Amino acid sequence: MKREITLTVNQRVEVLTVDDADTLLDVLRDRLKLWSVRESCGVGACGSCTVLFDKRPVSSCFLLAVRAVDHAITTLEGLGDGRSLHPIQEAFMEERALQCAYCTPGFVLSVKSFLEENPNPSDEDIREYLSGNLCRCAGYADILRAVRTAQRKMAHSGA
Amino acid sequence: MTIQSFDLLQPRSLTEAVDMLAEHGDDARLLGGGTTLVILMKQRALHYRYLIDLQTIPGLNEIKREADGVRIGTLVTHRMVESSALIREAFPALADAFSRIGNVRVRQTASVGGNLAHGDYRLDPPPALLVLGAEVNVVGPKGARAIPLNSFFRGMYETALEPAEVLVDVKIPFMRPDSRSAYLRYSTLSANDWPCLGVAALLRKINGRCQELRIALGGVAATPILIKGLHFVADETIDDELIGRLLDKVDQQISPSADLRGSEWYKRRMARLFVRKAVEQLDVATR
Repeated sequence: MKREITLTVNQRVEVLTVDDADTLLDVLRDRLKLWSVRESCGVGACGSCTVLFDKRPVSSCFLLAVRAVDHAITTLEGLGDGRSLHPIQEAFMEERALQCAYCTPGFVLSVKSFLEENPNPSDEDIREYLSGNLCRCAGYADILRAVRTAQRKMAHSGA
Repeated sequence: MTIQSFDLLQPRSLTEAVDMLAEHGDDARLLGGGTTLVILMKQRALHYRYLIDLQTIPGLNEIKREADGVRIGTLVTHRMVESSALIREAFPALADAFSRIGNVRVRQTASVGGNLAHGDYRLDPPPALLVLGAEVNVVGPKGARAIPLNSFFRGMYETALEPAEVLVDVKIPFMRPDSRSAYLRYSTLSANDWPCLGVAALLRKINGRCQELRIALGGVAATPILIKGLHFVADETIDDELIGRLLDKVDQQISPSADLRGSEWYKRRMARLFVRKAVEQLDVATR
């Protein structure tokens, strides 16, 4: 069934006609052209389609778009202000925590939610939380370092 | 891959959801967290003309403390269970079982009721809930009823839910203060995968002697199973001889099938190993 829904994506209100069977991923990419949201495994295991749903990470590949009504959706595009980068993005660049960068948006959003929830994590906490984000370039050591760098930057800036 | 078109129905009450299920029969399915069901529809392993959205019904996502136990609403997410102070204090092994599932995004989405109603033999929560003596409450066209979890799982992906019945909540009685429970998950592929097997146990001792022992396993039969016939442990101390008898009971009641996660022989060996570990761990914890 088609229906008109109102979504709040990156603090913008979007009115769209969607099919009940559309996933949030379909709508974010195909309709709103938010290319940072990427499908890879399609079953919620890899994390490359991660978006924040009321500040918490979800896999947009199996979330029905209709169910995002009345919730705040954030994609990577919603993180910076268009001129400067978010401290987590800066940290990923400084630590060279990306190669092909396909997985990076998902990692950055997961790290954001994680550090907001747990500002002083142990190494084990970081590994556990990020275990659902896969990087096939295998840059994990750099990514773990970037989390620590982001943590320092965010504590410093109060972000 | 895209999902074949369907209509999402949005009931405002449980009664309305039951009526919708009764009207559409096998053409309709309840949508809880929408993790497994949406993925299976995406893979075109399943298709329903109607999905009935439980999220539009108020009040199904609460964890409530009651006089004799805790009630977990059907839409409570795995993440809510693992982070609930109440659950962590009253049933730490249960919080642990929920915290080990998939990844944080899956746990953020997947619901407690959906996990049980799916009837998958290898999921983590069922064994942990079985040793706690949990029961599920359902409503259907004939009214409400409670089903002990021990008679809820009927076969591979089959449960005791009748047509048009909705799983409303899970009730877990408080453990006696001298009982301890544990859940051990054993993965042979990645940590985010379904486990090869899971073992839950609950033990109560008085003056070093067993009063009660419950053991449940996931992944080693067509359904999660609670091991029967463990009364012989009453007033015994836990030693190698007793554990040997226990492991034989487990071995007689499981029927693992070979898959990517291990052969039948391997799963039988691992079931023995992890049941032993769980019992030994609880023997120490109740000292």
